[in-house]
Amino acid sequence: MTAIERNNVSVDGPEGARPMVFVHGFGCDRSMWRDVAPAFAQTHRVITFDLTGMGGSDLSAYEPRRYADLQTHADDLLEILEELSLRDVCITGHSIGASIALLAANRAPDRVSQLVMVSPSPAFLDDTGAGYRGGFAREEIEGLVGLLEENHLGWSMQMAPTLTGQPGEAPSTETLTQSFCRTDPEIAGHFGRVTFFSDRRADFEHAACPVLILHCSDDALVPMDVAEWMRTHVPGATLEVLDATGHCPHMTVPGEVVETMRTHLGTG
Amino acid sequence: MPSMSGNGFEMATELIEDAPCGIAVTDPDGRLRYVNATLAHWLGLPPEGDPTRATLASLFTGPGRIFYDTHMAPMMRLQGFVREISCTLEVQGGTPLPVMLSGVARRNADGVCTRFDYTVFDARERRSYEEALRSAKREADELAAIVSSSPNAILRVDATGRVRSWNTGATRLLGRSAEQVLGQPVAEAIKFQDRPDWFAREARALLDEAEVAFEARHASARDFEVTLAPIGERGQPGASADWSVILRDVTRRKRAERRLQVIFDEMRHRMKNTLGVVAGIARQTLPAGNAEQFVSRLQALSSAHDALGQSEGDTGTEAGAEIGALLDFSCQAAGGPARFKVNGPRVRLSARQATSMSMALHELVTNALKYGALSCEQGQVRVDYALEGAGETGPLRLRWREIGGPPVTPPTRRGFGTKMIGLVLQAELGAEVRFEFAPEGFRFEVAFTAG
Repeated sequence: MTAIERNNVSVDGPEGARPMVFVHGFGCDRSMWRDVAPAFAQTHRVITFDLTGMGGSDLSAYEPRRYADLQTHADDLLEILEELSLRDVCITGHSIGASIALLAANRAPDRVSQLVMVSPSPAFLDDTGAGYRGGFAREEIEGLVGLLEENHLGWSMQMAPTLTGQPGEAPSTETLTQSFCRTDPEIAGHFGRVTFFSDRRADFEHAACPVLILHCSDDALVPMDVAEWMRTHVPGATLEVLDATGHCPHMTVPGEVVETMRTHLGTG
Repeated sequence: MPSMSGNGFEMATELIEDAPCGIAVTDPDGRLRYVNATLAHWLGLPPEGDPTRATLASLFTGPGRIFYDTHMAPMMRLQGFVREISCTLEVQGGTPLPVMLSGVARRNADGVCTRFDYTVFDARERRSYEEALRSAKREADELAAIVSSSPNAILRVDATGRVRSWNTGATRLLGRSAEQVLGQPVAEAIKFQDRPDWFAREARALLDEAEVAFEARHASARDFEVTLAPIGERGQPGASADWSVILRDVTRRKRAERRLQVIFDEMRHRMKNTLGVVAGIARQTLPAGNAEQFVSRLQALSSAHDALGQSEGDTGTEAGAEIGALLDFSCQAAGGPARFKVNGPRVRLSARQATSMSMALHELVTNALKYGALSCEQGQVRVDYALEGAGETGPLRLRWREIGGPPVTPPTRRGFGTKMIGLVLQAELGAEVRFEFAPEGFRFEVAFTAG
C-alpha cells in the first residue's frame, strides 16, 4: 500500500504550483481544513490527508507501539511528499499536527521550506521545574483518556439519529450519524496520550525553516505563556495573535486565518 | 397540538428556565449567551453570573475542556450537532456532576452558523451503571482472553450434551473447527475409546461433587485428562444448566507412565530370576538343613517383592503394600485361617516397611511352626493390629499372640530369628519391638509409624 492510499491523500490546485500540505490535529481529520485549504487552491498545489489511524486512513496500519512516537507520523508525511515528488513545501499544521509538521521539516529540510503552525503547543503538560506552563496537569490528561473511552461518538453506531429541530436541511441519515471526528476508541485513547504527553520543546528550539505561528487570544488548550515561549525559543518564528476564542481558528475564523497566511506567504 | 392560551409565552419561558434539563446557548466560538435556571443551579453559579465561566468549555472539568476543543467544537462546525456526549460539570463548591450533553448548530439563511444550542442531562445514575458495565466488560474480556489463548480445549456444553462453545485450543487439540462441532452432541464431537456416551454417564455420576475428572484415550490415540463441571449455581429457576468441559493433552505423561511400567515389570522379573539363581546356588553349596532354611527366608523376601509388585498395578500410588497382603502370605505358610487369625484395618506400608515386615513375619511363622503354637494341632496364632491415637493417625501397633501350644521356656541364647527381627524392625524401621516368652504362649509386639 502506498502512503497516498494509507493516508487518504487528496490533491487539488494547479500542477507545478508551490505545494501546501495541511496536517490536522488530534480529535478530527482532514475535513477540519475545509474552510481554509480550498482558499489556496488557485495559487498552490493543495494536499490534505488523514493521519494514520484517523478519518479515512488505513486503520490497520496504526501500530500503537510505532505510533507512540510522533516522529512516525512525521515519517508518514515525508513518505507522502516523496511519493508526490514535492519540494519547496509549505506545511500547515494544527495543534499536534503542527508538531508533526515541524518534525518532518527538521528531518527533511531539503523538501520543507516553510511552516505555518495553527494553535501549536510544544508541550501541553506543565513543567514547573523548568518554569514552563503548558496548561495541563497529568491527571487532567488521564481524565481525557477516560472521557474518550466513554465517548465513542457513534463509532459502533449503525442506527440513524432522531434529531429534531433542523427541518429544511434534511441531510441524508448517513451524514446524520456522528461520522465526523469519530475514531476507533482505542486509537483515539492512544493518540490522545501521545498528543498530550508529548514534549517537543527541544525540536521547536531547532526549527529548520521559518515558522509562522497563529495563536488565538483566548485558547483554553494553549495559554498565552506558551505562545510567548515559542516566540522567544523558536528560531525564525513570527507570532500572530488572532482575536478569537477557542483552539480551532481555522474553523471559527477561517477568513482571518487565510488572510494572515497570505500576508506572510506573500501571496495576498 | 392545543393552541397556546394568552399566557403561552410565560409558559414557554418557564418551561425553558425550569426545564428538567439544563439548557445553554453559545456563540459559534463557544461563548455563553444563555444558561437556564436549572443548569445555573447545578453549576452553583451566582445569580449575576460568573465572568470566569464565560464559555461552554469553562463549565466542564479539565478533561472536558480539552474534549470540547478537540472534538465537540469541530463536530458542531462540521456536522452541525453532537449527541449524547458524556462529560462532567465543574460545580462551584460541590462534587463534579456527570452529565449527558447534546447540541445543534443553528444557521441563518446564508448557511452561516449563528449559535449553538445545548441540552444537558443529569447522568449520575447512568454513569455509575455504565462504569459498572465497563468494568464487568473488562473482566469478561480478560476471562475470554484466558479461554481463547489456553492450550487446553475449553468447551461449553448444554444440559443435553450439545456443544455451545469451542475455543481455539479445542480446534488445535482435536483438529475440528467450532463451525464443524457447534450444536453437535459433545460425545460425538469428541470420541473416546471404550467410552461411548461419556458425557451423559459422567454428568449423571457427578451428583453433588464440584467436578468430575477422568482420563480417556481419544479416537486419535491421544490421551486426555477430562474435567467436567457445572457452570453457575444449580437449582435456581431458569438458571443455566450448562457444563464446562476441559480437555488437557496428557499423551506424553501417559506414554512416560507406560514406559515406566514396562521398566518396572522387567526389573521385578530380573530380581525374581536372580533370587531363584541364588536359591539354586545355596542348595548346591550349603548343608541340606541350612540350605532349606536359607531358601525359605529367600522366598519370604521374594514374596514381599510380589506384594509390592501387585500394588504397583494401581497407578498413581507410590510403591508399597497393604499389611493385609503380607499377613495373607504368612497365613498360607501357617496352614490357613483356621490356625492363623488376623484382625485389623487396611494399612498401607512403604516399600521398605513391607520388605522388613514380611521378613519378620516369615521368622515368626517359622518359629511358631518349629517350636511354638503351630507345632501342635490345636495351637493358633492371633495377630491384632491397629493404628493408635485419635482419628487413627498415630503409629501402627501389631500384636502377635500364640495360644494352645506347648509350654514356653525362654531361650538360653538368642536365635538367628529373633536377632533378625530385631535387626530389620529396630534398625531398619526404628520400630519399638518387644518379645515375651510367657509360659502359656509366645508374644511379640511391634510399633512404628506406617506409610
